[in-house]
Amino acid sequence: MSKSAVELPPKGGFSFDLCRRNAMLSTKGGVRPPSYRKTGTTIVGLVFKDGVILGADTRATEGPIVCDKNCEKIHYMAPNIYCCGAGTAADTEAVTDMVSSQLQLHRYATGRESRVVTALTLLKSHLFSYQGYVSAALVLGGVDITGPHLHTIYPHGSTDTLPFATMGSGSLAAMAIFESKYKEDLTREEGIQLVAEAICSGIFNDLGSGSNVDVCVITKGHKEYLRNYQLPNPRTYVSSRGYSFAKGQTEVLTTKIVPLKEKEEAAAEVGDAMEE
Amino acid sequence: MSIFEYNGSALVAMVGKNCFAIASDRRFGVQLQTIATDFQRIFKIHDKVFLGLSGLATDAQTLYQRLVFRHKLFQLREERDMKPETFASLVSAILYEKRFGPYFCQPVIAGLGDDNKPFICTMDSIGAKELAKDFVVAGTASESLYGACESMYKPDMEPDELFETISQALQASVDRDCLSGWGGHVYVVTPTEVRESTLKGRMD
Amino acid sequence: MKLDTAGLENHVFLGANGEFDRGLPTAPSFELPSVTDFDGFQKDAVQMVKPAKGTTTLAFIFKEGVMVAADSRASMGGYISSQSVRKIIEINPYMLGTMAGGAADCQFWLRNLGMKCRLHELANKRRISIAGASKLLANILYSYRGMGLSVGTMVAGWDETGPGLYYVDSEGGRLKGTRFSVGSGSPYAYGVLDNGYRYDMSVEEAAELARRSIYHATFRDGASGGVVSVYHVGPNGWKKLSGDDVSELHYKYYPVVLSTVEQEMAEVSGTA
Repeated sequence: MSKSAVELPPKGGFSFDLCRRNAMLSTKGGVRPPSYRKTGTTIVGLVFKDGVILGADTRATEGPIVCDKNCEKIHYMAPNIYCCGAGTAADTEAVTDMVSSQLQLHRYATGRESRVVTALTLLKSHLFSYQGYVSAALVLGGVDITGPHLHTIYPHGSTDTLPFATMGSGSLAAMAIFESKYKEDLTREEGIQLVAEAICSGIFNDLGSGSNVDVCVITKGHKEYLRNYQLPNPRTYVSSRGYSFAKGQTEVLTTKIVPLKEKEEAAAEVGDAMEE
Repeated sequence: MSIFEYNGSALVAMVGKNCFAIASDRRFGVQLQTIATDFQRIFKIHDKVFLGLSGLATDAQTLYQRLVFRHKLFQLREERDMKPETFASLVSAILYEKRFGPYFCQPVIAGLGDDNKPFICTMDSIGAKELAKDFVVAGTASESLYGACESMYKPDMEPDELFETISQALQASVDRDCLSGWGGHVYVVTPTEVRESTLKGRMD
Repeated sequence: MKLDTAGLENHVFLGANGEFDRGLPTAPSFELPSVTDFDGFQKDAVQMVKPAKGTTTLAFIFKEGVMVAADSRASMGGYISSQSVRKIIEINPYMLGTMAGGAADCQFWLRNLGMKCRLHELANKRRISIAGASKLLANILYSYRGMGLSVGTMVAGWDETGPGLYYVDSEGGRLKGTRFSVGSGSPYAYGVLDNGYRYDMSVEEAAELARRSIYHATFRDGASGGVVSVYHVGPNGWKKLSGDDVSELHYKYYPVVLSTVEQEMAEVSGTA
């Protein structure tokens, strides 16, 4: 690979240039590599009479710490396709963003609505090529010209096509609800109800899942993203007044105040200077 | 020992009413040894976007230089400053590029966006963005900071109150952490001014 | 395989298992876990209950007696679990022990030592020497060597021979000396202590040297901090001289001016 004098923005793909150093640090330096943010998650999806419903909890964890109490796990793929992500947060985010942009470009090129199988193939081929190291477990759902589709995708690249699906650490809790109550040709209301119930089952029975319920309903030519559809865990312990600190309570060594110039003014000044 | 505990740090950002604050400790240490107590881990990207980098100091400085480089390229091409949301995406992309050999850095980004809407965000070392409406924390004192911020934070604080709150939260937290402290840096940014303060803190 | 130790038990000393040793406390014996890999078990167990480490303690002999000082921080990994630990343990009115390493180990064994010293006093009608006391402790620690105790202590006091100072650790070591510092902050404390030490200091000078040494250690060492306690042991026993918050000491040694008035640094606007 030729090196230019300045490091230009890369064209894409992973960079492995720190791997050797990091391996050295953890073997010789005796330091542990960090853990990454995970969405120890409950994500679900089901096919109902008119389309697909996806659901997710909103907890993100880093080891034992809940680092985000209300994150979004239902990712946009295309106007008619959404995707729930579980696993390493950065991987689910990156892989869905990447495929979503590929789909957008594909739509520009063809002028047609994206198909769910296209998204599925792009996702699984990416994940397969990284042998499971890109740890994203996904529930992909959407409605296209061929009807409603629901798939699960595992980190190694295998996929399933199912009428109802669950993923993540709370998948067993959620699947218990689906197995006992799912039937074909559910109405929209019944479907949303069942999805919310499955997510709640994960929220309350799985330690990796928690907080709120997000739901996304996709039907032919229409979608509805119900962010925080249910809030089963409100904050009840917060004092109405909270702590208040008097001004000057914190001891300060130095203070520097820099006024900010208005951008419009700056532009005008430059213009004047040019004229002069 | 985790690699994040090699240098030690405490970082926090909070949103107020049309303003934000970002604060850090001032210690630079190698494990338990304190090397310097005037360390800067909060950087100004432009007037209204600030970046804090916790974790391994060598990676923080390298990453900062790469980010400044990319921001300058953007400024040359676009003749404007980056929006904080855009900058966060840039940081995320640069971190995720090294997914399998990451920078040992956990960034905190705070800025004022369009219409001076405050924006704060943090990431893990491989760029998983966490956007928050209230506060974000990072570093070795992050667990104590979660506790302090969770109880002290109130929505829609004015700049003066925001300053006191973030400072008190920071100091309360670093006083329970061996690897951070030795004073603090606080930046409070409003649409009209940037107030930069250094705090008097415990020196042990 | 467990050795048959029956033959080693006390049959020579007092004859029959009689009334003499019933009241006489010996070092408490702990039951060993019945595992095949004792070393591995010990290693894992020590990891499970990580001993509180990170300390600065020091003691030195000078003209007027012994000066003993320590910080007061207890930490678990990076977390500060207490800023108000008594690391100078008062064994009896003439003897002090310092605490570094495992807090529980130090507290327990120094209390145990206190008991033995008192029994010695009752049996012999005179106070135990510092040399004798430190040897009692060293012998106990040696008997538990390699079994996971973590103790780094200084036994300081005044006896018939004058001031005494011994360093004793859980490896079984026992050193006589005039100047010691123990703990993660000890290199920093030694720096100040060695530089400022003179034998013919006054009590005030010595106390200030001890205080400064601990302060500088708390500044550089992340695992030391809190309050500097300074004790002096003279012919009439020990006396606590001071307990100063190191943060206040810092701003006393290096005063800062608080800028109450905010400096307005208005940028000169770029007009010609």
